[in-house]
Amino acid sequence: MSTMREVEWESCLLEPIPAPKLEQRFHRETGRPGSLMRFLEGSDWLSDSVVRLSVQINTHVRVDADLADQVGLVVSQDNSCRFCFGAQRAFLRVLGMSEARISRLEQNLLVRDLSERERAALDFARRLSRSQPPLSEAEVDALRGHGFDELEVAELSGLIGLHLFFNRLSTFVALPPRAMENFPDQWWVRAARPLVAIWFRRMRRFQAPDSLSEGERAGPFSEIVNALDGHPLARQLRIVIDGAWSSERLSKRAAPLAFAVVARALGCRGSEREARRLLALTELEDEEIDEVLDHLSSPALDELERLVVVFARETVWYQPVRIQRRCREIRSHLSRGQFLELLGVVALANTICRLGVLSGGCR
Amino acid sequence: MTGLLAGFAIALLIALGLVAARGARKTRALSERLERAALELQRLQMAFSRFAPDHVIERIIADGSEGIGEKKEVTVLFADLVGFTALSESVEPVLLVRILNGYFERMSAAITEHHGYISTFIGDGILALFGAMAPNPWQGNDAAEAALAMREALAAYNEELAAEGLPSLSIGIGLHRGTGVAGVVGSAELKQFAFIGRTVNVAARAQDLTRSFAADIILTDSVRQGLDRRFVLSALPETAVKGVERPLSIFALEGCGG
Repeated sequence: MSTMREVEWESCLLEPIPAPKLEQRFHRETGRPGSLMRFLEGSDWLSDSVVRLSVQINTHVRVDADLADQVGLVVSQDNSCRFCFGAQRAFLRVLGMSEARISRLEQNLLVRDLSERERAALDFARRLSRSQPPLSEAEVDALRGHGFDELEVAELSGLIGLHLFFNRLSTFVALPPRAMENFPDQWWVRAARPLVAIWFRRMRRFQAPDSLSEGERAGPFSEIVNALDGHPLARQLRIVIDGAWSSERLSKRAAPLAFAVVARALGCRGSEREARRLLALTELEDEEIDEVLDHLSSPALDELERLVVVFARETVWYQPVRIQRRCREIRSHLSRGQFLELLGVVALANTICRLGVLSGGCR
Repeated sequence: MTGLLAGFAIALLIALGLVAARGARKTRALSERLERAALELQRLQMAFSRFAPDHVIERIIADGSEGIGEKKEVTVLFADLVGFTALSESVEPVLLVRILNGYFERMSAAITEHHGYISTFIGDGILALFGAMAPNPWQGNDAAEAALAMREALAAYNEELAAEGLPSLSIGIGLHRGTGVAGVVGSAELKQFAFIGRTVNVAARAQDLTRSFAADIILTDSVRQGLDRRFVLSALPETAVKGVERPLSIFALEGCGG
């Protein structure tokens, strides 16, 4: 029994819409059932991003896959994401982790069972997830002090960032958690666990380090993306961020506005500087940008942009049921596509701005 | 002789088996109790996260509450019911508690809806903090919006009270922004997460001034500086208050333009 099942959770905000091609692609690339993609039908950018980033959750270069799975569990717990926690817990149960060990991991009572290196990684995951206050470079250095090399630090941070993205998206849409929570207790899963475990392990991909090309090293928030260079996630994040910037469903200022507000809320000055630079390219004057960031409003913004700004602030730290109610209100003002892209953009902003610590972005 | 030994060995094995089974049962029961206790602790931790920041709770669990304190910039909202003493003498205690609880319920909702944290109820007074639980660069706007929401919620509550033939309530709210120390304070019997310093006193003084200037919400210049232009303010005369060297620059908050 987990206290995560007691987290208050609204009914799902979106009707599932069959999306056979998308579901097939998701299944083909991740090995998991694609039915969840039905909730994302309506935004090509977001559904493409979710497939790309889901593959990366199971892509490992250096970090031990078991540690990576445990990181997913603690980050999902820290963000009170019932859906993601249920999914991660089911994954670990099927792979053979005992219910007792998962509970102890959840209760942060595994102190004696974990190596110092593992404890450092899990503590780092919680800290990066909260970022309250933002992480210092000394904290990243402490991770290096526990034997993690540069690529491992990047991989671990990137994985935490991915979980932050999926936690937000799943929570904002209020994806139904019950099926995931009950999955490992189904009689047929218990009976077929060894076979299901083999199937789950096949999802894990081990890849060689992979560098960005010169062209991929440029673009919004390139310093942060480039700090992940060497890990395949860097390329995928580049594509996802570029997609957010060229979205036509929201205004061209929506993404930089969301990133700027999240950076201000987190106190990540480097990320705020980059967001301001990008906002200046959208013909917002310096004084107008100041006004937006100081007061979360400005006559220079249109109605949709005002909504983006206020909502982005709410997504930095939240209680699931309150943010879900807020999302329900917002849903009534936007088309399905706009709504999905708004959720995707703010989830991405939370991930990228927190990862700013890798490039000294929170100075 | 051999049969006797075999019998003895079997009896010994059975006895050992029984002891082992009993031990296993005890261990299982103990594990279950530990599991339940850990679960309860986690529930408590979740419940306490509404009363103090997560990192404070974790430090309390890990090291105890000694020495937890940090300097912070916070906006303090101090609200008090006007004429409450007279009211408390004119209605039955049970009714008084119901009226007061209804009031606290509505005011708390207005404050938390705008990112505020109720630090404590002092009699009929409310001490709320903005920016104490998590960093909040928009704390001034939030506090002003919360004060306006409290005004609106009280008006609605007064209509409910009037429908029951009960006396209406009125409040005075003072807002001030400044630095102080946020930490866990109290005795061994009672501890709470609190914000300590002159900022709280000045907010209380600003609240006192609502009576002198017949304004229900008064904020100081430190709050005004962080507000956006949607807020409609009226400047009030600079006023000397106890415990503050210079006269306070104060403003009545009239409303919000958009």
